[in-house]
Amino acid sequence: MGVFETLKKYKWLIPLIEKADRITKSTLMKNFRLKKKNFYPEGEFKADIDNLIKCMLCPNMCRFDCGTLQASNTESMSPAYKARIGYYLSVGKIDPTQPENKQFIDLMYKCTNEENCKVWCPFEFSVVSLLETVRDDLNDKNSMPDYCKDQIKKLKNTGTIEDYNIFKTYEEKGIENIETDGNDEVFYYIGCEMMKFPNVVKANIELLKKAGIKFSTNLDKRVCCGAPILNIRDLETGNKFAQDNIGLIKKTGANIIVSDCPGCVIALTRRYEILGVNIETKVIHIVEFIKDLIEKEELKPLNNMPKEFTQVTIHDPCLMARNLKDTTSMRTILKAIPNIEIFDPIYNKEYTHCCGWSGTAHWVDQELAIREASNRIDELKQTGVNLIITACPLCELGLTYGLQDNEKEKYKILDISELLLKVI
Amino acid sequence: MNLEKFEIIYKENRIEIKNKQDIKEKLIEIVGDGNVSIDKIDLLAYSRDSTLITLNWTIQGINAGLPDFVVLPENTVQISEILRLANNEKIPVIPYGEGSGVVGGAIPIYGGIIVDMKKFNKILEINDMDLTVTVETGINGMNLERYLNAKGYTSGHIPQSLYTSSLGGWIAHRAAGQFSTKYGKIEDIVLGMEVVLPQGSIINFKPIVRASTGPQLNKLFIGAEGTLGIVTKATLKIWPFPEKRALISYAFPTIEDSFNATREIMREHIFPAVIRIYDQFETERHFVDIEQAKDKVMVVFVCEGNIKLVELEETITKEKCESNKGINCGEHPVEHWFETRFRVTETSTMPPYKIVFDTLEIASSWMNAPTIYHNVIDSMNKVKGNLMITAHVSHFYPNGVGIYFSFGGVPPKEKSDLEFYQECWNTTIKAVLDGGGSIAHHHGIGINRSHWMEDEWGNSMKVMRDLKKLLDPNNILNPGKIYVNTWKRGDINGCL
Repeated sequence: MGVFETLKKYKWLIPLIEKADRITKSTLMKNFRLKKKNFYPEGEFKADIDNLIKCMLCPNMCRFDCGTLQASNTESMSPAYKARIGYYLSVGKIDPTQPENKQFIDLMYKCTNEENCKVWCPFEFSVVSLLETVRDDLNDKNSMPDYCKDQIKKLKNTGTIEDYNIFKTYEEKGIENIETDGNDEVFYYIGCEMMKFPNVVKANIELLKKAGIKFSTNLDKRVCCGAPILNIRDLETGNKFAQDNIGLIKKTGANIIVSDCPGCVIALTRRYEILGVNIETKVIHIVEFIKDLIEKEELKPLNNMPKEFTQVTIHDPCLMARNLKDTTSMRTILKAIPNIEIFDPIYNKEYTHCCGWSGTAHWVDQELAIREASNRIDELKQTGVNLIITACPLCELGLTYGLQDNEKEKYKILDISELLLKVI
Repeated sequence: MNLEKFEIIYKENRIEIKNKQDIKEKLIEIVGDGNVSIDKIDLLAYSRDSTLITLNWTIQGINAGLPDFVVLPENTVQISEILRLANNEKIPVIPYGEGSGVVGGAIPIYGGIIVDMKKFNKILEINDMDLTVTVETGINGMNLERYLNAKGYTSGHIPQSLYTSSLGGWIAHRAAGQFSTKYGKIEDIVLGMEVVLPQGSIINFKPIVRASTGPQLNKLFIGAEGTLGIVTKATLKIWPFPEKRALISYAFPTIEDSFNATREIMREHIFPAVIRIYDQFETERHFVDIEQAKDKVMVVFVCEGNIKLVELEETITKEKCESNKGINCGEHPVEHWFETRFRVTETSTMPPYKIVFDTLEIASSWMNAPTIYHNVIDSMNKVKGNLMITAHVSHFYPNGVGIYFSFGGVPPKEKSDLEFYQECWNTTIKAVLDGGGSIAHHHGIGINRSHWMEDEWGNSMKVMRDLKKLLDPNNILNPGKIYVNTWKRGDINGCL
């Protein structure tokens, strides 16, 4: 931004500058002119310095809703401090190549991508969007942490987030694999993480069948959407995953992709777009699809919900509520089920709190992620209801970690599809 | 990373702790391994609070101060033991809430132990009959208010720092919120407290609605900025969430007209929750789209509560404004204020241009308010390098007001940013004292104002120092604040 444009932005300052004495005016103009020289890194960099500075100098106006800060209760985890360290790493005040600075690098990954900060940010950015640009520079300086390298290795070796190809476990988990014949109406895009919850996958398959949808799952050919690799910012590998996915999507002939994981939906759409990859097929979360089926009466809930499932609380997945901006589908589905009573936690819909398992925080500091999960569980428990309904495999995983061992009998976490199937 | 690479502003007379590892182990014995850190990443995080000059330093990689230990206690007994240890070892202890203070109150200028209160974040009880909530003091303000709102209440304490400050910080700095004309300041809101004294004793002030039980000792800890004790728990007044809000705004030809209108409203015993007068410059800055307010002084009001009372307050407020040359600007300016009141962007946008700026709030009687306002504007306009001096009036009483000045400029060549900053502060405060005002309304004293305390309090300052000495003979609790001239001397034993 040039001097004139900058001045335009701060229009209210103009009369003040005009009336200032010559020396003050000249000092100020010099400061405007030398802003980048004074405070930006030398040479090439990818970090979003302008916004890192804005964030680090903010009095932490989003701190109260930052999940990792609320979980750790230390100033070191505050959003503005993360930006400050990101800035120091970028300008070389802290040298990322020195092993003694590992903790500072780790801080760049202690974020759950929940983007609560964006709700309150006067500049309307999220901290993770800034941290990702710092990660870009860290990667260029060969300072990627080992836990990120391990993730890349797994994804490259198995095509999934595990040491083995988790999609190929469908038989042992009793999940039906439906290969495409090239004429599908829908491609049911199962998330790697959701393969850990076979009952949810089975419920979704059952619901799609009951609605008479022609669909495929293609589990023998599936790979991860690449979201974890995009969090790490290995864009080259991310691009390869995108190309593999596009190839498979095209083969299905489907005109809509429905995924059971909001992280996959975001990756296939917005994150691929950033890579320059455009999936022309519509991609939505399966709850939105099921909501439409219910509204069109292609799925009809009956009045036979077992009593123990009639009182529910909703955990809105943060990726769904804030990123996909869908806070109505789950509620519409639940309201269509006779006798269901919903007890929302204090922090719900777009103000939901994270389960701790999104983003990169759980790789670098699992204890921190568990504490965040535990905080969210406490909020859900305050509703007085024992049944937690959600729609994201990461949330199901995270919230389960948040429960104490002796609470696991009392509190149940179900995906909304599992609940719905009980009355279809 | 070598922390020494970061210049430290307050580096004189730091306490030298020779047996650091030994102290760390003793702290671990008290609070557990996970709650003590001497890691650089943690020490750096507590090197400043939100004092605005520290932002200019932060972008340059300069720290205000640096602690030696960061400790996260989980209960009152642990705090007591930390303080006993600090007394034995003669190490400073700095209580830390959310770090939103703007006068340097939480800066560890002599090093020592940061006691971060964030784990004291539980809401213990709401009592609907008595309209009280009992809370631990580390709780974030917004998280308390959101919880209360969800249960149908409000604390009525809504400072601009709500999102980023803690109950403990409010109590420490004797804070006031934007809605305080109706709901009162923090000293009106706190009914009871638990306090750990500097030498480790735990005392309790039971919640009382009012008492005639000798001097009210509890008030000593409200505004003590963590120098006389660490407040760990408090019982606060709460209110049913208001059923109606009336939004009113008027533009006045002069600041005097706006003072007259608001003074007359207060004389009628009408307490709008919010009253804010913006001088001409701030009106131009914040309400540029309001045609009727051009070259005028905007005043916004929020009346809230019971529907019938709000209607009456609205009627009287409007009558008083109109009889003092006010032009009705409708609800829009107030809606704009609601939309933007937490959108703090200046702290982020000024330092990259090396602009030194700050806000500074003071108190005045009605009689002195116009003189003080003009004195400050005139004297600040003479400070070399200063570009702006503006004001809004944000707190109202039947007897006077709280005025909030903002300044900003670029230090001339011969002055460091700190020297320029100090000159601006000192110029403003001198003008306030010369006009018969009080040097701080709700941000507190900290470092920035401590050298003016003698002028503010006169010979009663000696009593205050004696009290500090009595309660904290080793001066371990938040030294360098309130009682000493830190900007000039930086002497840890200065108050003793």
